[in-house]
Amino acid sequence: MALLSPEVREAVTGILRAAAVALAVSWTALPIILAITYALADPNDYYNMEKVIPTRLTLEHIRSLIALGAGRAIVNSVIVALLTVAFSFALGLPAGYALARFVFPGRDTVKLLLVGMRMFPIIVIGVPLTVLYLKIGLNDTLLGVALAHTSMALPFVVLITSSIFAGIPKDLEEAGLIFGLTRAGVLLHITMPMALPGLAAAAMFAFLLSWNEVFVASVLTFNNRTLPAFVLVQVAAATELIKFAAVIIMVAPALVFVFAARKYLVTMWGITLR
Amino acid sequence: MASKTLVGIAALVVVIILIAGVFLYMGRGATVVWASTQLNPAQEQAFVKEELLPPFTQETGIEVQFVAISYSDLATRLEAEMQAGKVTIDLIGDLHGGLDLFASKGWLEDLSKFGALEGRTFLPSLEKFSNIHGIKAYIPWMTATYVMVVNKKAFDYLPEGLTKDDVIKGTDKWTYDALLAWAKKLYEETGSPKLGFPAGPKGLFVRFLHGYLYPAFTGAQVKNFNSPEAVQMWEYLRELWKYVHPSSTTWDAMADPLLREEVWIAWDHTARIKDAIVQKPDQFVVVPVPKGPKGRAFILVVAGLAIPKNAPNADAAWKLIDYLTRPEVQVKVLEKVGFFPTVKEATGAIPSGPLKIMSEGVATQLGAPDALVAMIPSLGPKGGDFKQIYLTAFEQIVLNNQDPAAVLPDLAQQLMNLFKEVGAPLPPPDA
Amino acid sequence: MRVERDKLLPYILVAPSIAYMAFFIGYPLLEGVRLAFVDEKGRFTLANIEYMLYSVHSKFWDALKFTTLLAGVVIPIEVAIAIALAMLLTYKFKGRDLAVYVVVLPLVISDVAAGLIWYSMLTGGGFLNKLLLNLGVISEPVIFFGREYLWREFVAVVLAEVWRSTAIVFVILFAGLQMISGELIEAAEVFGASPMQKLRHIILPLLKPSLQAALIIRTLFAFQVFGSVWILAGRDIPVLAGEAYYEQVELHHTGVAALYALVIACISLFLGFIYIKSFRAKYLEVGV
Repeated sequence: MALLSPEVREAVTGILRAAAVALAVSWTALPIILAITYALADPNDYYNMEKVIPTRLTLEHIRSLIALGAGRAIVNSVIVALLTVAFSFALGLPAGYALARFVFPGRDTVKLLLVGMRMFPIIVIGVPLTVLYLKIGLNDTLLGVALAHTSMALPFVVLITSSIFAGIPKDLEEAGLIFGLTRAGVLLHITMPMALPGLAAAAMFAFLLSWNEVFVASVLTFNNRTLPAFVLVQVAAATELIKFAAVIIMVAPALVFVFAARKYLVTMWGITLR
Repeated sequence: MASKTLVGIAALVVVIILIAGVFLYMGRGATVVWASTQLNPAQEQAFVKEELLPPFTQETGIEVQFVAISYSDLATRLEAEMQAGKVTIDLIGDLHGGLDLFASKGWLEDLSKFGALEGRTFLPSLEKFSNIHGIKAYIPWMTATYVMVVNKKAFDYLPEGLTKDDVIKGTDKWTYDALLAWAKKLYEETGSPKLGFPAGPKGLFVRFLHGYLYPAFTGAQVKNFNSPEAVQMWEYLRELWKYVHPSSTTWDAMADPLLREEVWIAWDHTARIKDAIVQKPDQFVVVPVPKGPKGRAFILVVAGLAIPKNAPNADAAWKLIDYLTRPEVQVKVLEKVGFFPTVKEATGAIPSGPLKIMSEGVATQLGAPDALVAMIPSLGPKGGDFKQIYLTAFEQIVLNNQDPAAVLPDLAQQLMNLFKEVGAPLPPPDA
Repeated sequence: MRVERDKLLPYILVAPSIAYMAFFIGYPLLEGVRLAFVDEKGRFTLANIEYMLYSVHSKFWDALKFTTLLAGVVIPIEVAIAIALAMLLTYKFKGRDLAVYVVVLPLVISDVAAGLIWYSMLTGGGFLNKLLLNLGVISEPVIFFGREYLWREFVAVVLAEVWRSTAIVFVILFAGLQMISGELIEAAEVFGASPMQKLRHIILPLLKPSLQAALIIRTLFAFQVFGSVWILAGRDIPVLAGEAYYEQVELHHTGVAALYALVIACISLFLGFIYIKSFRAKYLEVGV
């Protein structure tokens, strides 16, 4: 290396760096792409050991998966995730706003409390909730699952929304007040429109938390399975191609999310996960 | 604001449930109410409502309301209706174990009073099981079982003294010892294990232990759990396991390993090998299981149709039973949801193809002269503990190589306690 | 009046969230203790804990062992990869943003899906076996699954977990790295520091808070591992959450399942306590 001129050294470093990036990207992306390709493979190609990459594709396995009852599981998952978003925003948005805009005694404690609660594993609440839900008739209901998922999403929603509100300059709100808007008016006409894209990203994040959760959903439901629970319990004994088809459906919303919220990706997680 | 939203959503949910309830209630006229613990998955219910029942309604003018219900809900509801003296269920579709219990409580009508069903012959073994507690408790409706699938390639490696015919017809030479010799020869001559079992976390291997090996070697599923014959059986399995594909402990269904030709001989539930046969019908044969010292033991899952006492529309329910056990209707059920017929005429009426291959193997197994039929005990929520006892024995003895004589006594005690605790009778062939 | 209301307002806004969380954490903990230590007749019992620790059917010790082992193997690998990735991707280059999106993708993919994805890679007729067979590297498929090949199965789980959750560590470190001013790094370069020197003397010390946070969070998640292991290895490789699931759903031993949940809760609370303690000052300084 020492013998090489700086230009060559730079070029070599550049190539090595590009290779490393390519390796990292393919390490992450290839398994997803391959699983999706296999999920679309014609059975003759899949069971042919000489065919590494299937060339004949079919939607048959997704249809079979739907025929097994995945259609309802998807609908259930969407309902649970939407309810989770609704509940966690109804509860968390005001709290996030308060943490961003008010200075009040105990604010730091509240924040730390939320940071700590975010760490609390949702697995722990599953089993005891089955007993409570049986008593009050919420067992095997989507509402029950959504309430449990809300407890998982809520601290994240509060922390994310508070950082989004904190990012909106206070001057603008004050200007609104000076121009005769009420507090609610400022919130509605100035703060919210500016916060909206960030809030949408946060909503998608909450949606995905619920969409991906499997433990509580499988423990709390019996007939009304969400998709991951359905896959874990019912699809286990199906053929592999049908299992892979489940990957496509489970991964799709995540792909949409990463694309739609790419601007917020690193900052949002950097803040909330830390 | 938050609580208002919550209340609003809760109110909305309540309203929707109320409306749905009213609709469901208005939909109920003077129709046959058919409560079934079978055909409950969404796509099977769709088949019942859209394909199975409409021709019946067209033919007889009788409307049928199919109610998918869990076993425990059915038991609770039936008990309540019997105590209140107001029965709403006209027809019950359930497994043998549940119907056995209902009959023992005197909740079921004696079906012999309706006379015979014309134009069909029920399999004799099934007839026997449906006459319990002094009455004809139910009409056998559908069956399911677990069989062996053989890739035709494996027939090139048959051990001495065993022919292809022996295996397909299930002769006296098709024994567990012959299976061992076959598996050994396959392993030695192809270089890898070619026998497989679904011993994964969702696999049904445990059924092979309690419903196939145990009765075949000891004559009973539960009674002789800890016995010299049982010790022999476990030693046999330990020997056999040397030639079993090691991935077996992760397989939940055998269709994939069969299609990939990772294994050439497999045991599994008919529904879980169906895909392999549909995919490559020329490659596989379905054969009866081998026999052991005490007989050719296999599990038979029998679903039956029963009429509760004082059912409001008993005659209409009987007409539905008549319709559901017709050979052509039974074939339709096999084609669409994979349950096998209970009447001999149906087996002959199956069009050739994958289903024919399966039903021939199933029929040979069911009709075997040395058949020793085992049934899954109904232990309710304790069913998991029952399975776990056999699985633990398997893990300790076969996988961890412990002495069966040391492992079995404790587990046998637990097994007996389980039946005592639940108050359940020992399942056939023990009882 | 107005001042009074303004003083109360933030509390009113925050209260529902806190109350909700308090209920959903407090109630399950209390109920969990009751389920684990009180029998159906309301008497104190040690039957569940005896079953969990000593029964031939229970795999508690194996589960504890494998959960810890998995964390011990997976986390160092992930941290190493994440540091390398974070440094690699702080340099601006064409397509960098795209690379970042792809690398964080597994973060939003469920553990069940991740398990299935790796199953499709490693199974007998999966991509890896087919590829190696056709390249002539192997003549028989490599068996990754099955009790007999427990350690290969373990490798499969490690692969899936590293693939799935390196992204969490990466995102935290990446965000942390972006807060470190580029001037410092440039200054180091001007003084002719080698890349290793830069890493050791400048980047790692500055990254320490982020690294600490990432480590604790990742360890917390490690004790909840479930879906990917369950899909890939079933009970061959028992883990704490998997045993809780099995006891509850398959065996209907609610008391034992609740006990497993409590064990996980205790470990998490302990780790969470360390986390908050080590994190408190910095978090409040940064002020989100």
